[in-house]
Amino acid sequence: MNTNENKAVSPWSEAWHRLKDNRLAMFSLGYFVLIVLLCYLLPLLYPISPTDQSLSFGANPPLSKGIELRYDAEQEEFDEFITEKEFVELYSENGESDLERLVADQQTELSGMYFSRSDRIHLLGTDSHGRDLFARILQGGRVSLGVGFLATLVSLTIGVVYGSVSGYIGGRIDACMMRVVDVLYAIPFLIFVILLMVVFEASKHQLLLIFIAIGAVEWLTMARIVRGQVIHLKSQEFVDAARAIGVRPFTIIFRHLAPNTLGPVIVYATLLIPAVMLLESTLSFLGLGIQPPNASWGTLIKEGADKMTVYPWLLIIPSLFFSLTLFAMNFLGDGLRDALDVKSSKD
Amino acid sequence: MLRFFLIRLGQSIPTLLAIYTITFFMVRSAPGGPFSQERKVAPHIIEAQMEYYGFNDPVYVQYFRSLEQHLTFDFPPLTSYPGLTAGDIIGESFPVSLELGIWALLVALLFGIPTGVLAATKQNTAADYAPMSMAMLGICLPTFVIGPLLALFFGVWLGWFKVSGWFDLSDRILPALTLGLFYAAYVARLTRVGMLEVLGMDYVRTARAKGLPERIVVLKHALRGGVMPVVSFLGPALAGLVSGSFVVETIFQVPGLGRHFVQAALSRDHSLVLSTVLFYAALIILANVAVDAAQILLNPKLRKR
Repeated sequence: MNTNENKAVSPWSEAWHRLKDNRLAMFSLGYFVLIVLLCYLLPLLYPISPTDQSLSFGANPPLSKGIELRYDAEQEEFDEFITEKEFVELYSENGESDLERLVADQQTELSGMYFSRSDRIHLLGTDSHGRDLFARILQGGRVSLGVGFLATLVSLTIGVVYGSVSGYIGGRIDACMMRVVDVLYAIPFLIFVILLMVVFEASKHQLLLIFIAIGAVEWLTMARIVRGQVIHLKSQEFVDAARAIGVRPFTIIFRHLAPNTLGPVIVYATLLIPAVMLLESTLSFLGLGIQPPNASWGTLIKEGADKMTVYPWLLIIPSLFFSLTLFAMNFLGDGLRDALDVKSSKD
Repeated sequence: MLRFFLIRLGQSIPTLLAIYTITFFMVRSAPGGPFSQERKVAPHIIEAQMEYYGFNDPVYVQYFRSLEQHLTFDFPPLTSYPGLTAGDIIGESFPVSLELGIWALLVALLFGIPTGVLAATKQNTAADYAPMSMAMLGICLPTFVIGPLLALFFGVWLGWFKVSGWFDLSDRILPALTLGLFYAAYVARLTRVGMLEVLGMDYVRTARAKGLPERIVVLKHALRGGVMPVVSFLGPALAGLVSGSFVVETIFQVPGLGRHFVQAALSRDHSLVLSTVLFYAALIILANVAVDAAQILLNPKLRKR
């Protein structure tokens, strides 16, 4: 290590150095930052709105361009937005040669109608409503990532509070509280979330509900981890000292104990984000999660799966985005675990 | 052994009761009953239906009546399938889900254990790295991505299998693969870790020192201890198989219980949701007891306790 031996190195910067050596984790971190920036910032620059539809254009593979059809050459807005295939089949007089002329001149006139090639390129193609897939993926990514972060935050809060209170109090109350966790563990998470989604049927606060429903089931493991940490910590001197000078239990738990569990909590939270995104997408895939017109990666994959026989790119491209993001989060979580692991840093 | 069984089963009763109570009140507090439809129905008809299904009684009456019905397996008629009871639905569709689950488990064990054993015996070679990276992929990829992609590739492009349905044996392959691949990956990793640990033990060295062929050492002596992590994983795996079946049965139109559960949730058939949740809970608890028993049978060290 090239850090100065005399200078005190904080555990966090030490962990950062270890993480930097893990190329897979750093690559994942880079990919993840890129995806977040793309989803949240690119829509400001990207010219096509995810809600722009054109039924006459319909579903087209990646990198396809459309043709604007105007009944009057001067007007700004086009009347129809059509595909090249449609142009050849429905409007052209000489078949392919008209299309070649159109491509060469960028515009042409045929029987009183004006055709011009649109300068919009649909980078990843369009869906069956003619909506731009890339714009929709960015929109869906915002929802999926947003759910991932916020639901993780919800479950983190519940888990840390529950686990540290249970661990600090101990005794019969602790046993009781952990028994509740065991009972909830017995039900598969997905069943529980589906139950919650059935109970809180509300269209307006749908997104909020998904955060709460997922957060409400995913806190269990967090609570166990935090409880274990707190039980280990509470017998240490600094807690005895705090108690001796009369610090109230509430303050001991949340000022002295909970912050010390941060390492494992961060690692688990990083691994929780992909798990939560997976749960949200599974729900949306089953039709119990995000409802249209809102979209998430789960609903996009569902739409793609329904139409995969005719428009395979609608399935493959969103699946790719989603899977790569899951991989990145998992690798990053593993890397953080190695970097922050207190045991491995002791020599 | 019998005592262990009875104690574990006894412990599961309060758990099941708690699950029943939680589920009952959750489902009961849901807004919008099964009769709130877009179509206007005359109020006296709704009233008659509410009376018929017993929704007008006080909540505690409904709570105990429903509890009694579940204890005696005498289920009430369903709102979303007139004339049928939850017992009918579960009895008809659960065997399908069970079959799917068994196929998936077979996929998981038949792919997973040999891969794990191979990777462990050839540790740190290409035969270790390649399958283990594949396993990492299998663990990260969600079921609802693998399923449609498999259907697209083998069903649509290659045309080997039907994309949906549950009629002949070839219809089992894609759903079983979709459901089983995740577990195959997981089992492979667990087997590798378990085998690596066991292969370093003294009794394996003794077996080698006796001059036994490597094949016998690995397959007969080491494997038995090496698959222990897999056996303890089977309990949690079952819970995962249940969740997975919701997705897989929806993708491939398999008429199993998972699809019925999702449909019941979508159509707000609260009593079917309640019965199905209870059924799943009981199933998972039973399976966990069975897995614990299997562990005791396989591991002589645990038997003494």
